[in-house]
Amino acid sequence: MLIVGFLGWWYGAGWRARMVAIGERLAKTFDFFSVDLLLRTWFAPFRQIGTDQAQPGLAGQMRAFFDQLVSRIIGGIVRTIMMIVGTFVLVATGIAGIIEGILWLFVPWFPVVGAILFAVGWVPYAGV
Amino acid sequence: MQEFNYHSIRAEKARFGNAIVGLWRIVLVVVAIAFAIAGAAFFMVGEAIGWLLLGATAIPVVILEWHRGELFDVPNGPTEKLSDTLSSALLGGIPKHPTPLDIAQAAMKTPSGQFMAVRFGLTSNFFANIISNDTSATPQVWELALRTQQEAGVPQITGAVMAVALTRSFAGYETILAHMKLEDEDLLQGIAWRQHLRELRQIHQAPRRTGGIARDWSFGYTPLLDRFGRNISAQLASGGMLRTNLETHHKALAAMTDTFSTRGRQNIVLVGPSGVGKSTLVYAFAEQLLDAGSTLPSHLKFRQVIMLDSAALIAAAPGRGELEGLVMRVLSEAHRAKNIILCLDDAQLFFEEGIGSVDLTNVLQPILEAGAIRMILTMDEQRLLQIGQRNAVLFNSLNRVNIAEPDRREVIRVLEDKIIVVEHQRKVVYTYHAITEAYRLSLRYIHDIAMPGRAFKLLEAAASYADGSFVTSESVQRAIEETVGVKVGVATDEEEREKLLNLESLIHERMINQTRAVSVVSDALRRARAGVRNQERPIGTFLFLGPTGVGKTELSKALADVYFGGESRMVRLDLNEFVQPEDVSRLIADGAEDPNSLTAQVMKQPFSVVLLDEIEKAHPQVLTTLLQLLDEGVLRDIKNREISFRDTIVIATSNAGAERIREYIDRGYKLEQFEEQITNELISSGSFRPEFLNRFDEIIVFRPLTKPELLQIIDLILKGINKTLALQKISVTVDDDAKMYLVDRGYDPRLGARPMRRIVQRTVENTVAKLMLAGNASAGQTVSLSLADVQSIFASEDAAKQVIEETTS
Repeated sequence: MLIVGFLGWWYGAGWRARMVAIGERLAKTFDFFSVDLLLRTWFAPFRQIGTDQAQPGLAGQMRAFFDQLVSRIIGGIVRTIMMIVGTFVLVATGIAGIIEGILWLFVPWFPVVGAILFAVGWVPYAGV
Repeated sequence: MQEFNYHSIRAEKARFGNAIVGLWRIVLVVVAIAFAIAGAAFFMVGEAIGWLLLGATAIPVVILEWHRGELFDVPNGPTEKLSDTLSSALLGGIPKHPTPLDIAQAAMKTPSGQFMAVRFGLTSNFFANIISNDTSATPQVWELALRTQQEAGVPQITGAVMAVALTRSFAGYETILAHMKLEDEDLLQGIAWRQHLRELRQIHQAPRRTGGIARDWSFGYTPLLDRFGRNISAQLASGGMLRTNLETHHKALAAMTDTFSTRGRQNIVLVGPSGVGKSTLVYAFAEQLLDAGSTLPSHLKFRQVIMLDSAALIAAAPGRGELEGLVMRVLSEAHRAKNIILCLDDAQLFFEEGIGSVDLTNVLQPILEAGAIRMILTMDEQRLLQIGQRNAVLFNSLNRVNIAEPDRREVIRVLEDKIIVVEHQRKVVYTYHAITEAYRLSLRYIHDIAMPGRAFKLLEAAASYADGSFVTSESVQRAIEETVGVKVGVATDEEEREKLLNLESLIHERMINQTRAVSVVSDALRRARAGVRNQERPIGTFLFLGPTGVGKTELSKALADVYFGGESRMVRLDLNEFVQPEDVSRLIADGAEDPNSLTAQVMKQPFSVVLLDEIEKAHPQVLTTLLQLLDEGVLRDIKNREISFRDTIVIATSNAGAERIREYIDRGYKLEQFEEQITNELISSGSFRPEFLNRFDEIIVFRPLTKPELLQIIDLILKGINKTLALQKISVTVDDDAKMYLVDRGYDPRLGARPMRRIVQRTVENTVAKLMLAGNASAGQTVSLSLADVQSIFASEDAAKQVIEETTS
């Protein structure tokens, strides 16, 4: 009875919960890198550096414009790097999640598999 | 009828789950690690047994995973039936054919059952004494458990629900609850409290969306704000806080969101008394902004709420000009950063001149009007009105949100949340009684701060009086007794009980006769300390009628001295100084302006005797003001604070009708025979209005003193004089005939015994002083005064009269 209950949970609610946990992990990674926010603010001034109110006159306005431009370029570079890193980590986390989800299905059979391999007597390093 | 299915799959899972706790969990972890290491090691040496061990590693791993995912808290079954709704912690502990006692024992082993034991006193021993051990009573318990679960509105029958159901199953349930000073509603509140804590834990364990690493990259650096402010959002992001979802806060939070979402003036002023939760509301708002999953507009999400520190600003810029410059730079930084919501807590500090405050209206007003920076201000109603009086433009530019004081139920919920932090910090546990007692007592004794702040303040203080790390209602009572100097608990210690039982004789040690008055007052005090009086009124309200010098004031003093802790515990007001209608304001003046007003003195000393002398001379408006005091035991002061007189004995004295009392006595009437008549005469003569006299618990007539009583008074006075002379090691005795002589000289029908003290003191002290100076009296000696000695001092009638005149003048 208990074994049935265990298998029912492992391949039912347990697996679904695992999938939710993997999804949460992906969401957390996504939240950490906030790729959508990076995209929306790709060329926004970085940390508002140099965005003081422009001095009067053309020279002042030009200076403010160039300050802003530098700030936006810095922002663009930093955000691009972060988007690349974020995408890489997200993909890696996703692949790890898929492997975990598949592996989950086989874990209860590991003792049986182990017993069969033991009976066969094969070992990976035998004779090395 | 509900039946318990011991063999259901859910029950089996629950039992297995309960078994894998503590040591067994450790064993499983150790076995898994050992198998994995051993398996790998065998592989390394080329042994096939490594497969067997590695495969076996999966067994403890899947058990642990199953426990974490399901067995630890087996979800409810598909139906509303008993076996599907019992919590797994409880279900796993119930035997096959349980008696109510078995169920109680299982419930007490669950965390929520232990919660009820600690907070409400529903312990295993308690159930062992009241619960049946007969299986025939079990179905009734199941029925009650299901009903209790539905009433409490919780998803499972937990140990807490079962504890309440078991208590309800007892035939003498009402009596038991009354004995425990609990009500049925309190127990349901306990279940809700436990459930709330469980939900809070889930909220804290749930993954948080913080906005990520790039969240603030588009916003500016804020070095000045970091220096002169406290970033609430950063605090919340790092540690989080416990949330209480209060009805009273919903509207205010919605108003704040609404104001900051639209294009109008970007400011909110939270108006409410201190302690009502304005700062908590700011925290709640800041927390809402940090929630990436909320439905807030994107231009509000992740905005940082920074509370400006006025003291730090003033300290950094001593000159006015410098300060204004600094504030301008701070505001400019907030504007430039683009993600700052500034909070000015106790905002009046920024709008008025004073110690620790400075008027920055010129700097702040244009910003508030233009709405260039989002700002939250907090202040109380009075301060806001003062600002409005001074500057109508500024007042009109503020978006006001009123924060109302929460009701009792909500206050209790807030306290349940807030004590968790105190429990952690002080290593104590609060019982539910402590919380409700803190609410009750703080309402009465703590002023200048609103709920829930006032009750929380008391609970914090009570932690110092914990008994074996438990903060109980007694701890709260002790805290208030120590801080306010009032006695709130039922008299339990032997010394006090003795004092209460012998109050009359103790008072008579310094007062002669007037036995009825002494007995009535003593009874009132005994009722109060036994906890059987009406808590919504003063301990006692008495009107003492009678001629001058018969002991009316002396009884009040004696009472203050014997029971209230000294004559200084008497608040005395001569109402002949309150003869104008405008004198009412002096009666209820604020303590800061007039420390001698009635309300100020009682606020400072709520456990005292209040003596209202010569009440007949007070203006009718003053008497009307006192009606509420006599009726409900409260008086509102000029600031509209409710001052409690519920721990005072209020004694009003009056000479009105004194002549009539003397007449009755001279005609041979006893007090009991004319007391009512005197009262009626006072009403018909217009001295007092009937509704005023009816407010007193008792109207007590003091009768004039007789000569034998005056002789006893002389003995009391001599006792006092000997006490003073004890420092010189000299004692004085006066012969009986000399005492009689003093009575003749000192008694005046108009003034009663009042001149007596002066006469005796002058006679005895003068004589002793002369003897000491002449070297005829020395330490260890007893000076005996004869009739001749006394007569020599009062050689003539005039001398005595002169003394009397001095007394009356």
